[in-house]
Amino acid sequence: MNGGDGYEVTPLIAAAHELKAPLALVRQLALRLEDESLSASDRQQLIRRAVLTSERALRLTSDLTRSARLDASLFTLEPINPEQLCRDVASELLPLFEAYGRTVTVKAPRRSSLLVANRDLLRRILLGFSDNALHYSAADSPIHMSIKAGRQPGTVLIGVRDYGPALPAALWRDLQAKLRTAPQPVHARPESSGLGLYIASQFAEAMNGRIGAIRHRDGATFYVELQASSQLSLL
Amino acid sequence: MTRVLLVEDDAWLADVTRGVLLDAGYEVNHALHAMAAIDTIDQWLPDVIVLDVLLSGSTGFALLNELQSHADTAGIPVILYTNLAEQFSHSQLTSYGVKRVVDKTTAAPHDIVVAIKAVTNSGGEHENVSH
Repeated sequence: MNGGDGYEVTPLIAAAHELKAPLALVRQLALRLEDESLSASDRQQLIRRAVLTSERALRLTSDLTRSARLDASLFTLEPINPEQLCRDVASELLPLFEAYGRTVTVKAPRRSSLLVANRDLLRRILLGFSDNALHYSAADSPIHMSIKAGRQPGTVLIGVRDYGPALPAALWRDLQAKLRTAPQPVHARPESSGLGLYIASQFAEAMNGRIGAIRHRDGATFYVELQASSQLSLL
Repeated sequence: MTRVLLVEDDAWLADVTRGVLLDAGYEVNHALHAMAAIDTIDQWLPDVIVLDVLLSGSTGFALLNELQSHADTAGIPVILYTNLAEQFSHSQLTSYGVKRVVDKTTAAPHDIVVAIKAVTNSGGEHENVSH
């Protein structure tokens, strides 16, 4: 793919762009620690933020490594309780969300179907969607994970809903394209190369599923749709 | 007191930069994105704007275009504070009122203060700041 500047935008280049921001932030947080007039609590907060930002960047590198090894023989599909997985992801993200003063909640029907997925890949998709929601939604707004029947019969849909100003139509069209295509040059969309969505779509396809997005007047929902399991939930 | 509008969509980086600017004695207002920046400018005209380029929603260039289209804001010096410093040329930026470019990936915290002093004291020739 051509990036408009005469170079091909590979996942590697997109990854370099995506990693620049967290690395620059960690560097600035570390440099700020050199200020000897900072209070102990300010110092602790800077260290905590540097750790959490590093972990976000490491998740991306880990996802990239995983996406390069999507051979079906390397992962298994199994019946998974989506509500439990969502709660696990929410727990994993709790320190990051708390550091930003945000909340993530899980909304599930009383009896949700099991779905067929690889636990690790689905976890990575949901972490990515939640991370995106945290970064691109209005400050102080909540983020909700929800589970419901998919549009296609026999499917389950897990969505991550955020709240904020609606995306302009042109940006929304770009976003829709990113859900289907390789990463874009960083100029193509203000805030992201779309690499995270590209990786998520690869993970979903590897599980015979798909990802998508719904535009709301006050935010967006990113979702993954997967096959429901015929096995009854005993949980 | 010099008024600085910081336009930065990363809340934690904004906190760091805001702290440095407050320590240096500036009056600071922070906007998370271009629309919020325009709302702020309507109420509180800054002496200088420190602007990130990649913002949620519209880019920093949308804000620069807006500033250039109004007589009372066209003269406000702008400092780009960006991870993409290497991708901009002098000729691209001068028409937008950009006086300085500070590279987030290489700058020390105090570099933003140096850049503000330069553009508020001398009118500021365009210059890239990095280490």
